[in-house]
Amino acid sequence: MSISPKQRLLDTLAKKTVDRPPVICTGGMMNSAIVDVMTASGHTLPEAHFEAGRMTDLAGDIHRDTGFENLGIPFCMTVEAEVLGSEIDFGSLACEPKIARELFSSVKDVTFKDTGNMLRSGRIAQVAGSAERLSRLYPDQPVIGSLTGPISTAASLVDPMQFLKELRKERDSAHRVLQYVSNFLIGFAHTLIESGATVICIGDPTATGEILGPRMFEEYAVTYLNRIIDGIHAAGVPVLVHICGEMKAVKPSIPQLHADAISTDAFVNLKLLKDEYPQLTTMGNVSTILLESGDPEKVARRTETLIREGIDIISPACGLSTSTSLATIRAMTNTVKY
Amino acid sequence: MSNIKTADEYFKELSEAVVEMDEERAVTAANASLVAGVDAYDAIQQGLSDGMTRAGQLFEDEEYFIPELLMCSDAMYAGLEVLKPHLKKTVVSRGTVVIGVIEGDTHDIGKNMVRIMFETGGFNVIDLGRDVPPQRFVDTARDAKADIIALSTLMTTTMDGMGTVVKLLNESNLRDGIKVMVGGGPISAGFAKRIGADGYAVNASEAVKVARELVGNG
Repeated sequence: MSISPKQRLLDTLAKKTVDRPPVICTGGMMNSAIVDVMTASGHTLPEAHFEAGRMTDLAGDIHRDTGFENLGIPFCMTVEAEVLGSEIDFGSLACEPKIARELFSSVKDVTFKDTGNMLRSGRIAQVAGSAERLSRLYPDQPVIGSLTGPISTAASLVDPMQFLKELRKERDSAHRVLQYVSNFLIGFAHTLIESGATVICIGDPTATGEILGPRMFEEYAVTYLNRIIDGIHAAGVPVLVHICGEMKAVKPSIPQLHADAISTDAFVNLKLLKDEYPQLTTMGNVSTILLESGDPEKVARRTETLIREGIDIISPACGLSTSTSLATIRAMTNTVKY
Repeated sequence: MSNIKTADEYFKELSEAVVEMDEERAVTAANASLVAGVDAYDAIQQGLSDGMTRAGQLFEDEEYFIPELLMCSDAMYAGLEVLKPHLKKTVVSRGTVVIGVIEGDTHDIGKNMVRIMFETGGFNVIDLGRDVPPQRFVDTARDAKADIIALSTLMTTTMDGMGTVVKLLNESNLRDGIKVMVGGGPISAGFAKRIGADGYAVNASEAVKVARELVGNG
């Protein structure tokens, strides 16, 4: 008898042997709310960013139409920044929300809000409400709650150019801001877990080797990602972490992360990464450019290769373009499942 | 050792201040070189710009990363503030570049790096910021008689907009006079070719080299 997708993902993350890898798309930075799905169902963005019922409907549509073996919410990376006080542009059907203006121009100016109050504001309750409904409606599927990572969240609160410089120039203040942001993110994760999220995924696109370099990555990204992961583990829930970019400059830091699986961009050869660090549970990395290019056969071949190479969880390599077709996504999910 | 420095020593000090990310040292060195009668233009070119070129090389060698390169540029701009009012001759620009992040994308770290390297490299830069509609690139380039449009994106979602810019240039018969260069995380040389762009650069430091080649004064 085959096991449920939820159990398969949990077993994979617990390093137990499973019949085949799960094929998932986490939501958040790596969501698959593509135009094809929304126009077919009529459950559309940007509306679904704001309300638990609509978010639940769209997450369900995506799960049904794409074949991904999970529910993934929210569909953006701005829930955190909005609560922290930055100005958000909520985008449109085809264009994801983004930060219109960061609240502060320097880490030294950041004033700290109470975490409890923040967790009661913005869209937190709607995302939590959606996690609650999804976990009830789909008991056999993992519900993945997606967080924006600490470096990206901090760079959404403070002007990113200034923020990056201040990682060197104003280290004490930079650490204080990251501590503040991390405590809030742990609180957000716990809210999602209490509402029924099975797994938490952290995507931190500003925390790349190309941007930070190995020293800053270790001092800031590893430190605060681990602090958040530990906070989530304390609630008994596994954590996926997605690292953008080539990862070359920061590869030795990757095994230091306490994550239960590491997801990477398409540039990274996951098999070599696994050979080098056999302790890692790897996730990825079907190129989103390949998925968008619209050739289901190529996508199927690439997916087969990943399975053959023993990649533990099959997933898109980064954020999907909203113009990606269902045919290529289904080629990916069907290759894993059948 | 004599207290009297040669011009070369001032250049070296300015260049070092930039590479060492030291704003104060750049300002002190700029003032000292003016007092010593060093030509401001030479101090910029052979001192500050040289430092930024070296910083760019360290970035390519992956010894420096974005925080370091940003701090080098702060030191460079600090020295430039001191020297600029003393320029005797107008500096000849290598060309005008219209730069921005394509509509739909607000990630502008890469674009800002490229802008800094363009300015350091002697280009006149018009920065349209982030989330810019394709038509605005074309209108601005036409009005400013720009030589280059430089487009950046970090998101696969917005790559289509880059092709739109090339198409709009073609439609308004502006394509011959304006070169288009593209870059950013998901962009490749192959993609640049497919949409009909003239140049592609993998990072900020290389972008300046490509731009110089495109305007024919490499």
